[in-house]
Amino acid sequence: MSMACRKVYIASASMIRVSRYFTKSYKELAFDVVDEISRNLSNDGLNNIDYVIVSNVFSDSMLDQLDISTILTQELGLTPKPALRIETGESSGLAAIAHAYALIKSGLASSVLVIGVEKSSEYPTTAINKHLTKLLDYEVESIYDFALVNEAAFLMKEYMERYRYSREDLSSWSVKMHSNAVRNPYAQLKFTVTKEQVVNSQVLSDPLRLLDSFPIGDGAAAILLTSNDGLISNSDYVEIEAVFQATALPLNLRDNILELPATKLLFSRLVKECKVDINDAVLEIHDSYSILGYLIIEELGLVRRGKAPEVINDLNNVNLSGGLKARGHPIGATGVYQVAEIFKILTEGLGDVRRNVTWGLAHSMSALDLNSAVVVVRRCR
Amino acid sequence: MKLSIPRFWRRRFDYYSIRITECLECGRKSYPRRPICPYCKSRNVRTTNSVGLGEVVSYTISYYRIEGSEENLPKIIALIRLDEGPIVIGEVVDVSQSEVRQGLRVEAVLRRLKSEDPSGLIYYGLKFRPLITNSAVG
Repeated sequence: MSMACRKVYIASASMIRVSRYFTKSYKELAFDVVDEISRNLSNDGLNNIDYVIVSNVFSDSMLDQLDISTILTQELGLTPKPALRIETGESSGLAAIAHAYALIKSGLASSVLVIGVEKSSEYPTTAINKHLTKLLDYEVESIYDFALVNEAAFLMKEYMERYRYSREDLSSWSVKMHSNAVRNPYAQLKFTVTKEQVVNSQVLSDPLRLLDSFPIGDGAAAILLTSNDGLISNSDYVEIEAVFQATALPLNLRDNILELPATKLLFSRLVKECKVDINDAVLEIHDSYSILGYLIIEELGLVRRGKAPEVINDLNNVNLSGGLKARGHPIGATGVYQVAEIFKILTEGLGDVRRNVTWGLAHSMSALDLNSAVVVVRRCR
Repeated sequence: MKLSIPRFWRRRFDYYSIRITECLECGRKSYPRRPICPYCKSRNVRTTNSVGLGEVVSYTISYYRIEGSEENLPKIIALIRLDEGPIVIGEVVDVSQSEVRQGLRVEAVLRRLKSEDPSGLIYYGLKFRPLITNSAVG
């Protein structure tokens, strides 16, 4: 079998609801999702996997734990499987899937278990905020306590000025995401909000407010990737068609701050190399701040630049999970959630949400498009 | 995590002045200093010092609470275009929320960044304040 023909399927996916789990450690969160995958498999369980990949961002800064993948293989009964941790900031989850995909595609592994786990809520929010600033260049930006939310505020302000939107106009994204999250059993914020609540919520960095931002939460999600179609129990196969990754220069070096350079590159490859039909797809995109939701769908070509806030109500296949805004954003686990959600939407359903479409796109970025990735899945019938 | 003294000392000129990368191939200037031009990837670059003058391109008033620096909120964080061309992110001080605006002329000024504890070292770095013009002084 030539490597180019080796298929990479999603055999199984599991998640817990994103939340603040004060009574559980990261090990218990990871156990819950891996145990569900194990029980979904026939007799041999996870004995036949070749590799464990853990996506996690804050283990050393918040959990005092290095080599978290080894500690988890011990806890989960997975020794002596080889294990590693992947960290590319907020896009770690998709980077972990990219690496698993590469291992299988290359023939070095047949089955890889990807675990995304983050325990963000062990410390007060100010401490988490401090760690989040480290996603920028520490020596140049974070040492001054400049934060992602400040940079997102620059984008929001520029967007409002360039396209003449009011603060209230830019509340439609959050309203839509909360409304989607109500139907997602794994979402952290399962309640609706109004535009008035968004514009009256606490200011984080003017004009950006609390309800424009992701909430802080813990989460764990796991995905079993395999080239062995014998492991697949669904009638529909979900195959990973492609994975693209790209990096970009920081905000201050960009000529047009309303363009997302890495994401732009990923989306152009998507169209050229995969022939993805965006209208026959479900998308999970990285809306850590609502302004990024608008910019990403514009970068995708779903809507003309400057028009995104006007079409939000008509978006029926974008962030059905509620997105980072309302499903939540357990940093290192988020990308794994996105792919697990797409898998469920294309197969048994995410709660009662199902779509009979061919394609699924998961898009993730770290900070403001510093290290970004897209995972393209295709349903094969 | 505590600041590391050698780590800060090693970069003292980057914290006490604004050092920019000037590309001798494509001619573009960028911040911070790097061994390779971020735009054209040329290694034919030199480091030069900004005179520390510029103007506010955009700004945000931040209430975002970060451990260890909650006492001075809200603060004004701005994108500042230096007179040499590159854009930097900087905190703007000595100005009220109602006075800060796009186009405001600013100058870099050495200020206290942080201290780990009351008896610990004080770390200094650059912030920006409204430019005090000759006419204003006169």
